Amino acid sequence: MKKIEFVLSMLLTAVFVVIICPCCSLAQGAAGNTPGALFYQANIYYQEGKYEEAIKGYQRLIDLGWESGNIYYNLGNSYFKKKELGLAVLSYEKARGFIPNDSDLKSNYDYTLQVLNLEPRLFGGWFEKTIYTLFQGMTLDGLVIFLSFIYIVLIAFFTLSLFFNRLRSFSGLVICVLIPLFVLSAYALGKRINYLSKFAVVVSNEVDAKFEPLENATIYFRLSEGSMVEVVEESGDWYKVRRFDNKLAWVKRDALGN
Amino acid sequence: MASMKNKNIFLKFLSLSLGIVFYTLSFAPPCFAREISFEATVDRRKVSLGGSFQLSLNFSNAQDMPAPELPAIDGFQSRYLGPSTMMSIVNGKVSGSITHNYLLLPARIGTFKIGPFKFEHNGDKYTSNQLNVEVLQVQAQSNTQPEGDPQPEIDDLNDRVFVTMQVKKDKAYLNETVMLSIKLYVNRLGIRDIQYPEFNHEGFSAATFDKPSQYQEARNGVNFDVIEFNTLIFGLRPGELKLGPVHIKCNLIVRKQARRRPAFSSQGVFDADIFDSFFGGYETYPLDLKSEDVTFTVLALPQDSKPGNFSGALGSFSFEASAAPLEVKLGDPVTLKMIVSGEGNFNTVGVPRLKSGQGFKVYEPQIKQEANTKRFEQIIMPISAEVKEIPVLSFDYFDPVSGQYKTINQGPFPIIIVIPEKEEESKVVENKQLVTAALVKEEKLGRDIIYIKDNPGRIRKKNEYLYNNKIFLGFQVIPLLLYLITALVYAKKQRLKTDLRYARRLLAPRKARAGILQARKYLDKAEARKFCDILFLTMQEYLGDKFHLSSKGITISVIDEHLRKEGVTEEVLAKLRDIFKECDIVRYASSQISRENMRDSLKKLEEVIDYLQRKRE
Repeated sequence: MKKIEFVLSMLLTAVFVVIICPCCSLAQGAAGNTPGALFYQANIYYQEGKYEEAIKGYQRLIDLGWESGNIYYNLGNSYFKKKELGLAVLSYEKARGFIPNDSDLKSNYDYTLQVLNLEPRLFGGWFEKTIYTLFQGMTLDGLVIFLSFIYIVLIAFFTLSLFFNRLRSFSGLVICVLIPLFVLSAYALGKRINYLSKFAVVVSNEVDAKFEPLENATIYFRLSEGSMVEVVEESGDWYKVRRFDNKLAWVKRDALGN
Repeated sequence: MASMKNKNIFLKFLSLSLGIVFYTLSFAPPCFAREISFEATVDRRKVSLGGSFQLSLNFSNAQDMPAPELPAIDGFQSRYLGPSTMMSIVNGKVSGSITHNYLLLPARIGTFKIGPFKFEHNGDKYTSNQLNVEVLQVQAQSNTQPEGDPQPEIDDLNDRVFVTMQVKKDKAYLNETVMLSIKLYVNRLGIRDIQYPEFNHEGFSAATFDKPSQYQEARNGVNFDVIEFNTLIFGLRPGELKLGPVHIKCNLIVRKQARRRPAFSSQGVFDADIFDSFFGGYETYPLDLKSEDVTFTVLALPQDSKPGNFSGALGSFSFEASAAPLEVKLGDPVTLKMIVSGEGNFNTVGVPRLKSGQGFKVYEPQIKQEANTKRFEQIIMPISAEVKEIPVLSFDYFDPVSGQYKTINQGPFPIIIVIPEKEEESKVVENKQLVTAALVKEEKLGRDIIYIKDNPGRIRKKNEYLYNNKIFLGFQVIPLLLYLITALVYAKKQRLKTDLRYARRLLAPRKARAGILQARKYLDKAEARKFCDILFLTMQEYLGDKFHLSSKGITISVIDEHLRKEGVTEEVLAKLRDIFKECDIVRYASSQISRENMRDSLKKLEEVIDYLQRKRE
């Protein structure tokens, strides 16, 4: 029996290593020379004050299918210097998905919002806001790895508790802590994925949000540059968007960036 | 002793006071300061001969009016039904009414005038309005109606449920808020699922509707239940604009047609149908009620006399301002508190302006908006020792009632600038530093974005996340599968440990196979006695394990009894009996058995085991 338990423990450890290691390596990815060269070239343009060229350089990197927190950060800086603050907010918001705890990014983002006379707003009710605040320091992949880790720990716990009776006395603790944590992080992940595909930023100076997707429709409210919205529907050249206070209105597609 | 006496006096006083309050609230008739009005209403304008309708005589602002005795009404017979009273307390003001109800039965066809009714009470004389009621011939199909049915409906549905839209006035200035009132009138119909009104308001901005109010209203002498929706609107462009029509969607509750009775339910607006509908007595029909549209004129603001600082404030306002402290050092902040209150569109009320900001550094104000007040707190900082007063603060607005621009001024406020007793030359420098220091604090000077990153960081392919990586997701299944397999193995082991019957049945064929192998060896060596012993033992153990019986107690009779119950065929039972007989003869009678017979017995046992194994599976 002891032999079986030993083998089982070793097997679980092996599975853990086999799963977690690929996750980390997949998350890291590989950096080729070409993206690096493009990045440094764009940086040189920025240093020379050629912000338009710098933006083109960073954007080309993104168009080639590469992205990183630093690319979006530098792109945001370039837009800021070019006085295109809406696009700067959009770039910083994207950078936040990769380097959420970067202090430079936080500082620049806050300053851009301050210049735009905007406040950082969270969408949804108190529950969504709380969940967002709890997990805001994690990247999307970080959240997936965290979720996977809890999942494997839970499975390992339940498997080992079949053979080690002493482990069963911790069942209450596991059910009360790990399972709610698993559910909350899964909810946060779902919201983050949804946010990734639906968030948009107003990139025009000031945009009229209307009751209907028509040019002559009544204006419901106005969105200032840099405001964050959630796209809920599309119709031709119009997006139906939700504001932080859940007000819904139609906005011209070209006024938003996402 | 004295304190005890005082206590008793206090208790008596308290109970007397409470008694008076209780009597006042319970029994004393409420005082109605307003004038008593007397109004007559009917619940329908058209009635069929043979039907009836209700006449109500209502005294508003009174609750102790006796029932007026009705005079003879031409064309009708009347019967008193009883009174109903209503009392309401709004903002501490008590209002009440009493309604005396009468049932009127038409005596002949025609159009009749009912009233005016005259009534005298306590020396006061009251006269009601006059009503017209039309008595019609009974419709043909009413003859076929079942007994007990009420009269057929002859009113038009549009007269009994309709929507009106009213604007408090027919013209208003640009941005001037006007109350829009939408009323749903219902007379003796069951209406439910009433939705908020939708209306065309191109050229207007409309707020969301307040919670609707519900009351009764007499309209052309007919009593209606009314649901009123109110909202504020204001014009966005000048001109003659159309407002409406307004649509209200709701469901009409109608009695089922099974009894050939197309009558509408005549219950109240909200109390209809709960139980009847549950038992299938009523049906609902969707209604889309539409009102007439309203033409509204939006006036442009006059341009000729427009003040320079006018920011769009429109309404009737008052303006107060104060400044503190009024004795400061050069560069110290002074707070201006300004309050604009009144009635109007507060969204367009801007911050009042200083006539001249010379000698001051003026900061952006903090604004707080309440229901009918807007507060501004603004910091100003004297930057010149020459300053003697805070200049006049002026607030400009447009008064839509008078149609004129108005300006309210507050101030000037005398101010003393204290200069430190240092040499004159350095004063300015010191004060400038003070101002600069204050400005640094306020304006957060030197703030800019942080420089770009000099390395690309962790670059990766766009939109490649772990959550959509198939390899990663595939790996996630492995622990779950492993757990399921482990759990199954564990469960099986546990069962083998605890369930003896299961364990014996599971091991029976394995043990039988070993026995048969052993028997086959004895068969090859032609050791008949040993062959029969092992054959018999194998059969006993297999049957014992298989059916959870004691192996030693397996006999022909046990086999017959037990295996027959299990549905084993006679052919198999016969084979078992044969094996038993063969073995018994050799084991106890020391008879010889041929090798052929031994092989036959072994084959029979194999067939029996094979049969029983397949049968269980």
